[in-house]
Amino acid sequence: MRLRTTTAAAAAGLLLLTGCGAADMTEQASPFANAQGARTVTLSVQSWVGAQANVAVARYLLEHELGYRVDTVQVDEVPAWDALSQGRVDALLEDWGHPDQEQRYVVDKKTIARGGDLGVTGHIGWYVPTYFAKAHPDVTDWKNLNKYASQFRTPESGGKGQLMDGSPSYVTNDKALVENLNLDYQVVFAGSEAAQITQIRRFAQEKKPFLTYWYSPQWLFEKVPMTEVKLPAYEDGCDADPEKVACGYPRTPLQKYLNADFARTGGKAAAFLKKFRWTTEDQNMVSLLIADRKLTPEEAAKRWVDSHESTWRTWLS
Amino acid sequence: MTVLPNTPVFSVEGLWKVFGPKSERVPLDPELAALPAAELRSRTGCTAAVRDVSFDVRKGEVFVVMGLSGSGKSTLVRCLTRLIEPTAGAIAVDGEDVRAMDRTRLRELRRHRAAMVFQHFGLLPHRTVLDNVAYGLEIQGVGKAERRERAREVVTKVGLEGMEHRRPGQLSGGQRQRVGLARALAVDPEVLLFDEPFSALDPLIRRDMQEEVIRLHREEGRTMVFITHDLNEALKLGDRIALMRDGRVVQLGTPEEIVGSPADDYVREFVRDVPREQVLTVRTAMRAATHAEAGTGAAVTPDATVSEAIEAVARTGTPARVMDNGRCLGVVDSDALLGVVAGAAPGAAAGAEPRKEAV
Amino acid sequence: MATVTAPALRATLPGVLKHRAVRKLLLLALVAAVLAPLAHARWHSGTWPAALTVDLTDPLTHVSDWIIDNRDSHPLFLYFFGHISNGVVLSVRAVYLFLLAAGWAGVTALAAFVAWRTAGVRLALGTAAAFLTCGLLGMWVPTMQTLALMVVAVLASVAVGAVLGLAAGLSDRMDRALRPVLDTMQVLPAFAYLLPVVLVFGIGVPAAVLATVVYAAPPMARLTSLGLRGADKEVLEAVESLGATARQRLLTARIPLARRELLLGLNQTIMMALSMAVIASVIGGGGLGDRVYQALASVDVGAALAAGIPIVLLAVVLDRVTAAAGRGTEPAHGRPTTYALLAAAVAVAVAVRLAGRLDWPDAWTVAVAEPVNRVVDWMTDHLYSGVPVIGGTADWAGRFTTWVLDPVRDGLQGLPWWSVLLLVAALAWLIGTWRTALTAVLAMAAIGVLGVWEPSMDTLSQVLAAVAVTLVLGFATGVAAARDDRVERLLRPVLDVFQTMPQFVYLIPVVALFGVGRAPAVAAAVVYALPAVVRITTQGLRQVDPAALESARSLGATGGQQLRQVQLPLARPALLLALNQGVVLVLAVVIIGGLVGGGALGYDAVFGLAQGDLATGLVAGAAIVCLGLMLDRVTQPADRRAKKGA
Repeated sequence: MRLRTTTAAAAAGLLLLTGCGAADMTEQASPFANAQGARTVTLSVQSWVGAQANVAVARYLLEHELGYRVDTVQVDEVPAWDALSQGRVDALLEDWGHPDQEQRYVVDKKTIARGGDLGVTGHIGWYVPTYFAKAHPDVTDWKNLNKYASQFRTPESGGKGQLMDGSPSYVTNDKALVENLNLDYQVVFAGSEAAQITQIRRFAQEKKPFLTYWYSPQWLFEKVPMTEVKLPAYEDGCDADPEKVACGYPRTPLQKYLNADFARTGGKAAAFLKKFRWTTEDQNMVSLLIADRKLTPEEAAKRWVDSHESTWRTWLS
Repeated sequence: MTVLPNTPVFSVEGLWKVFGPKSERVPLDPELAALPAAELRSRTGCTAAVRDVSFDVRKGEVFVVMGLSGSGKSTLVRCLTRLIEPTAGAIAVDGEDVRAMDRTRLRELRRHRAAMVFQHFGLLPHRTVLDNVAYGLEIQGVGKAERRERAREVVTKVGLEGMEHRRPGQLSGGQRQRVGLARALAVDPEVLLFDEPFSALDPLIRRDMQEEVIRLHREEGRTMVFITHDLNEALKLGDRIALMRDGRVVQLGTPEEIVGSPADDYVREFVRDVPREQVLTVRTAMRAATHAEAGTGAAVTPDATVSEAIEAVARTGTPARVMDNGRCLGVVDSDALLGVVAGAAPGAAAGAEPRKEAV
Repeated sequence: MATVTAPALRATLPGVLKHRAVRKLLLLALVAAVLAPLAHARWHSGTWPAALTVDLTDPLTHVSDWIIDNRDSHPLFLYFFGHISNGVVLSVRAVYLFLLAAGWAGVTALAAFVAWRTAGVRLALGTAAAFLTCGLLGMWVPTMQTLALMVVAVLASVAVGAVLGLAAGLSDRMDRALRPVLDTMQVLPAFAYLLPVVLVFGIGVPAAVLATVVYAAPPMARLTSLGLRGADKEVLEAVESLGATARQRLLTARIPLARRELLLGLNQTIMMALSMAVIASVIGGGGLGDRVYQALASVDVGAALAAGIPIVLLAVVLDRVTAAAGRGTEPAHGRPTTYALLAAAVAVAVAVRLAGRLDWPDAWTVAVAEPVNRVVDWMTDHLYSGVPVIGGTADWAGRFTTWVLDPVRDGLQGLPWWSVLLLVAALAWLIGTWRTALTAVLAMAAIGVLGVWEPSMDTLSQVLAAVAVTLVLGFATGVAAARDDRVERLLRPVLDVFQTMPQFVYLIPVVALFGVGRAPAVAAAVVYALPAVVRITTQGLRQVDPAALESARSLGATGGQQLRQVQLPLARPALLLALNQGVVLVLAVVIIGGLVGGGALGYDAVFGLAQGDLATGLVAGAAIVCLGLMLDRVTQPADRRAKKGA
């Protein structure tokens, strides 16, 4: 009897829910969006400063030139695709290449639209500080890395040399590379870019040798000059099997992506974001202001905007 | 409800309360029922708190259940209104079977006919004195204005005037118990049940509260069932006393009977230090008067205590006559009175037969 | 193995336990003697044998892909999760819009009014100051976002918790079923909750709110049940003796009597919700947490602090106001005053609204980030290394890693797996009951079966090292505070603030001081767990029966003797509780330490979230849960359960 009552209640509850009709959670904007009648654009910021620079400038122009309100949400790369598809984020300004996600959302589900090139080309590689490379020129070839393993040793890497990797969200094949190239190194994950940068600067301050996974464009090169270690050259498809990778990283033209609905109905904001395109130098300038001079992103963006009007005017037309 | 004048308020017959697994088989099995507590526990895992107890509570009397802790007296009083469900036996209130009552009827019994006063007061700390007193009426659904009005009267009656808006936490122990008493009185019950109401109080305050109960009883004549572990309190308040040990009633009688004729060694040990002359009446020491004695000497009533008789005998120097409505029942002399004080078995005492069962 | 550890353990236990402990150990040794050689012969390897693992990667990846592909079409999502998600978004939005519409002045005035009503003038002023500070720091909008999220999450947690608590409080069967679950949820690291909700709801506010609810509801449920069960039996009996119906009993007696516990539950729920709301920024929760998270990405301690301060202020204000409500010291205010002040609060809100100053004026902000960063830079520049005699912080970190963390990790990973199980069993049984021992061993075995034995041992080694440091520091400080009122008075506000700080804020300074790796993760964990350990130790020592102390003093015991022979033995339950709490808190931060190079399970969990590789993340999350369960049970005194029931 009691069981029947419970079942009936559960059924009634479900009916009540379904009575309101279907609710597609993949089409729910952020609750903080469009508050107080302002049109809001939600931008995804990834955890690295270059991405912050893109967003800071886009935000500044959207707010000051186009009258939008801009929300930013920090989301890592892959989850950002999901958030973009659900409409919780309107645009993603810097993507380093995620073919799986692109296939799923852009081609199959059509919930994300391409937004064109950012204008910056990204490259991942292994780097040593330039002061060390100058003293030991042959370190820049991967074949000689084992010779220097003992100098790159840290408490974390145990008896091997340390190859420092950054945030777990970044694209990396380093563990496989170390194995496949027979290097006497241990991959140590800093866990976040912030931690990695702090560590690099610390090493640089003491002029210690280090080997790190790093990428360009990156403002840190301005503060700590680093030289790339040549890995076996990248060829198309050489990184197809993640277990057997034995080649370096490609050069990736960074891409923008927009939520498909937003791309259609986003009006001026969507048009602006599609046209947004700048150079590595531009990005580095803003990044450096944010990360090194500790300016707020807004101030950093303002400085760039004030001095590069000809560049951004074309984005608004 | 028509109640015959001599129908007892509570009538308890063969009552059992056994705690533990499959407790209901214990009263049914004569072999188990006869086992001592420790053996019963080891054989069945059960504890018998109340064993085969029978008694009546007469209208208007103060019935005291007295025993040491663990004797089952608190369980017993809770069985009366089924706050604890009895295992076996019969309970009737005004002739109505309590164990057969359904929930509504039982609630009616608790709401209107029997109210209880608790050892640690059981007050609601978040309510004022007035609202605590009115709580029973609130439960009954009495309107706010009316129940407050009635509560105020009762508060005055128990001497808490002016404290209506305090919280229990702001009162002394004695005052709190007055609130507990007032709460029970407010519903105007037929019977008041007291569960060791004064044992948490200081001796002086306890005496005040005992006087208060005596006064209330005198004024209202309400039937009371009073649980206590304090023999003096039992003797002071009780019209009749049921003395419990290990769940059984070992003796039931008037204070005089308990003190004067202990049923067994346990009771005797229990009452040993009682000032007997203040409890026993002259009947205990009375002998038939010789013809000469019947005419002279101080007169005392049959209900006078021995100590009163001693005073009279000492004053006159002759045996005192026990006079009932002008008739001489007998005399008490100094030897007999001294014998009572000394605790010698009053072999000659008449009418002091220990009665296990009083109907 | 057990026989080797036995003497050491026995020596640390008080005399009463001795023979019982020996019996337990002998039994365990017997079982081990039979099983260990078998296990050893069958799966001869140091780490968990591959034959005994289950690879969940493929099925989990399938599930995660299926969910993403069907989220917009499957009825389960359309008709169930979709509505939940919708409800969350709508309610958060409603609260957020209300807060924005009230404007900064309105919110501040209303908050101060509520604080005044429940806790008096001083807290009201404090509340107003706290809200204004949030504005001054330029964090008004993020604060309101966090507040909106919090309001919804706390209301939902309280509703869910109260319903569960009522069920557990009124029904013994529900209590038996719920209590172990709630107890366990209480000890799990916040991070472990993120992955499952992300799996279902995706990144965003709904997931953040639901993770918060799941994390924050258990204390409410536990305390509700505790309050209902802890009610004075005699009062309930009195109520029943007056003929109350079950409903009357619940409404007029049980719930009002449980008021203190209910408000304590509310208090704890709010605090846990706040700490989770910050962590939930990792899954797109937005608000203040997101600002902290973003600031950490650019190593901007100053900016992280600017967002962290409002969190701490919110925490302190909410804590004090609900705690004051729990004490029931409501100031007796006349109704007219109340209405007048409420009207004043509304008037302020309306006035500022009419003046068109709804948003916090930009000009009124103070940039704290820069000076803070200068200080941090100076500290790291001067303390990092090369400090004469004591060496720099980096040297300490290096030595700690080489001499403590590495040996412990290598030791744990080198031990045969069955001996680790045995060790866990022995410890848990000695401190607790055979039940806790069994749970602990099963949890540990589950870690092996999940195939994450190695990283789990790594995490475990960090936890052990951090707990050891925490206990040494915590007990020493606790003893000092218990013996000297001045020390305690000095410590109290510090402890209060540290206990409410979001865990994230700790991470960057420790990186600045100790570099990257396991050492900073351990350092952050120690800093985070220390306040609770100090507090419990101090309380435990202070609550030792004064009569026992007095008698010791009357016998001429010195201060040290009193401490050793009376206070410490009598405070043993409190010290064990401190150990238990320390372990639980340390684990929570060691996991987050994955963000600063702690590696191991924390890294896997972060990796899972960051790469959308939920298989890795969920397995790591499950291992974290098991590890948390094991650590809790191993340190759980036998009498804890009994006490909770009372």
